[in-house]
Amino acid sequence: MVINTTILSWVTFIYLASSIFYIFRMVTGRAFWGPFASYIALAGLIAQSFALILRWVESYKLGIGHAPLSNLYESLIFFAWSIVLLYLIVEWRIKSRNLGAFVIPFAFLFMAYASFSPDVSSRIQPLIPALQSNWLISHVITCFIGYAAFTIACGLGFMYLLKGLGKGRGPRPFLRSLPDREILDELAYHSVVIGFIFLTLGIITGSVWAYSAWGSYWSWDPKETWSLITWLIYAAMLHSRFVRDWRGKRMAIMSIIGFASVLFTYFGVNYLPGLHSYF
Amino acid sequence: MKKTPLSFLSSLKLTFTLLLIIAIASILGTVIPQEYEGGESFSHLSPGLVKAFNSLQLFDMYHSVWFIILMCLLSLNLIVCSVNRFPTSWRLFRKVPSLDRSKPFEDLSPDRVLVIERRLNEVIARVENLVRRRYKRVRRSDTANTTLFQGEKGAYSHFGVYIIHLSILIFILGEIIGSLFGFNAFVNLPEGEFTSTVYLRRQRGIKKLDFTVRCDKFSIAYYDNGMPKEYRSDLSFLKNNKAIYQGPLLVNHPITFDGIKFYQASYGSVPGGQAYITIKKANERQSSIAVKLKDSFYLKEKDARVTISRIEENLMDMGPAVLLKIQSPQGNMRLWVFKDIEKIKEDIPDLFQKVPKFNPGLLKPYYFKLNSIETKYYTGLQVSHDPGASIVAIGAFFIIIGLIITFFSSHKRLWVRLDEKDHRTRIMVGARSNRDPVGLKRETEYLLRHLKKQG
Repeated sequence: MVINTTILSWVTFIYLASSIFYIFRMVTGRAFWGPFASYIALAGLIAQSFALILRWVESYKLGIGHAPLSNLYESLIFFAWSIVLLYLIVEWRIKSRNLGAFVIPFAFLFMAYASFSPDVSSRIQPLIPALQSNWLISHVITCFIGYAAFTIACGLGFMYLLKGLGKGRGPRPFLRSLPDREILDELAYHSVVIGFIFLTLGIITGSVWAYSAWGSYWSWDPKETWSLITWLIYAAMLHSRFVRDWRGKRMAIMSIIGFASVLFTYFGVNYLPGLHSYF
Repeated sequence: MKKTPLSFLSSLKLTFTLLLIIAIASILGTVIPQEYEGGESFSHLSPGLVKAFNSLQLFDMYHSVWFIILMCLLSLNLIVCSVNRFPTSWRLFRKVPSLDRSKPFEDLSPDRVLVIERRLNEVIARVENLVRRRYKRVRRSDTANTTLFQGEKGAYSHFGVYIIHLSILIFILGEIIGSLFGFNAFVNLPEGEFTSTVYLRRQRGIKKLDFTVRCDKFSIAYYDNGMPKEYRSDLSFLKNNKAIYQGPLLVNHPITFDGIKFYQASYGSVPGGQAYITIKKANERQSSIAVKLKDSFYLKEKDARVTISRIEENLMDMGPAVLLKIQSPQGNMRLWVFKDIEKIKEDIPDLFQKVPKFNPGLLKPYYFKLNSIETKYYTGLQVSHDPGASIVAIGAFFIIIGLIITFFSSHKRLWVRLDEKDHRTRIMVGARSNRDPVGLKRETEYLLRHLKKQG
């Protein structure tokens, strides 16, 4: 096994450990475990960044140098990396660790899928002609930062609904320790805004690329169509908030539906025929 | 509200219904194979279903009449909603905030009030300076012991959403212009051949170009592991038989000639027009010859003239084959000579009984064998012209601007009131914003911190 993939499979377990600490902290309500969770996640992020750089360097040594963003394995790793990075920034900004229990497990799951699924090859492969484009990096980065922001919004949505369960059923200490619903709602809104802008950028960079590779900026390929559906779902969500002032539970449910659409755009579309077969 | 056609068109309910229908239709379109992707894949559907889908134009759904009507309704809805809301935003943009003395300061939290041990005229210049530095359109009003500043910034933030809506309309306009005045075609061009005719994909016709394109060479480069590294067509563009431009066409690097773009889309191989065959005669030395299409040779023993009448790269899925036309005094016959005849005979042992003309030993005592046929590449070119693309690009630029304005700017208004009493000055800071309460709070706290320093 190559060194970068070894590190990356270890990072999977680091994120698992971090997830367990975050969940443990939330359920027991003891802040004591919080810093463990955060620092483990940070250590995982640093190790993962190191492995990504290593992989990049390795590809150059193989004479097929390209950014590690070119197949399903690499995109899953980058997705997990973006989730953890974005999450740690949010944690640092809002100074609350509750969200970790809802977000870091996603990073763990994507890493585990990349590292241990027999369908996902971790080998560094050269770029086929269609992928040899300067737009590859900007397209993949913008899309996955967007997806990561939607992951965080979805985690906040779950948290919101969970917090709602505690209402009127007597005190449940760990539910009470979750942030106020207004704060969750506001945070989810901000995450969706970031995700929406990056998804828009991702669709635009993808179109520019498609225009230079296939001669058509939009060809209703399943992946394109599903990214549009995802975009429409989040656009509807933002409109219902701006125009109708929908908040709270409805927004939480929409952020979960939106994320389901993101996941289908990412994974499900591979089962449909189309041009994006490399991801 | 009165029910008018306009109020129907401007309702948010219509927007959501349309978005829902478009989303569901788009999902259908990703599940039902679309015509231009190649028709084989709907062979598993029942004929009745195919007929139903056909009448609903589901095999070319994204260009069907009803999908276009949905898109038109959505654009109309977008326009009417935006036009309805615009005057409100315009008023908010133009509106000069009141220099009301009390209203902005109602329910002001105590941390927004400062008291400084100085006279009003000692602090006023600095306060004004600070406010003017951070805000635009600052106005001032003075009365005996009171001065009021009013400033605002970011009024343009009301227009962000219209820029987004406008850019979506620009997208649709670009798409319409592209489909009306552009075309999307393809042509397969074997090495060494030229054409000035391309085949339209959607309209299923042909299109004459004002120039000729020639494929000089097609080549594929591979990585060490066998994956393709580069597809390359060396093309020449000719006008009046004179090459005006020559260059390599690569994937991701289209060539534009005369406003028409050429893309490397696919490739394949065709017979190169030359075949190598071996003629054996019982207990005689065999001779191998290279033959071209229409070539002929003479077989003395049978007084037969053999002409190569076809060279096929893959005949009936049985591999390369040549068709020999044999004319002799015993009569004329046709003989297909396959390259992989041994393998074919394994699959179909009684082949020669069934189809005598597949028997390479039919013309006794001669025995024919096809060694190989020469193949050459053809390059699959995507040929398109899309005058709408640059309009779509403008839309993309504006949607980003619109999103940034909508989500990262806010209309902030500030009121600062200074009252002097007993040689002390009380400063009150009130602020309002249409969005981004956190940013407003940060901004206000910054102002208060700096005002405190004055004292």
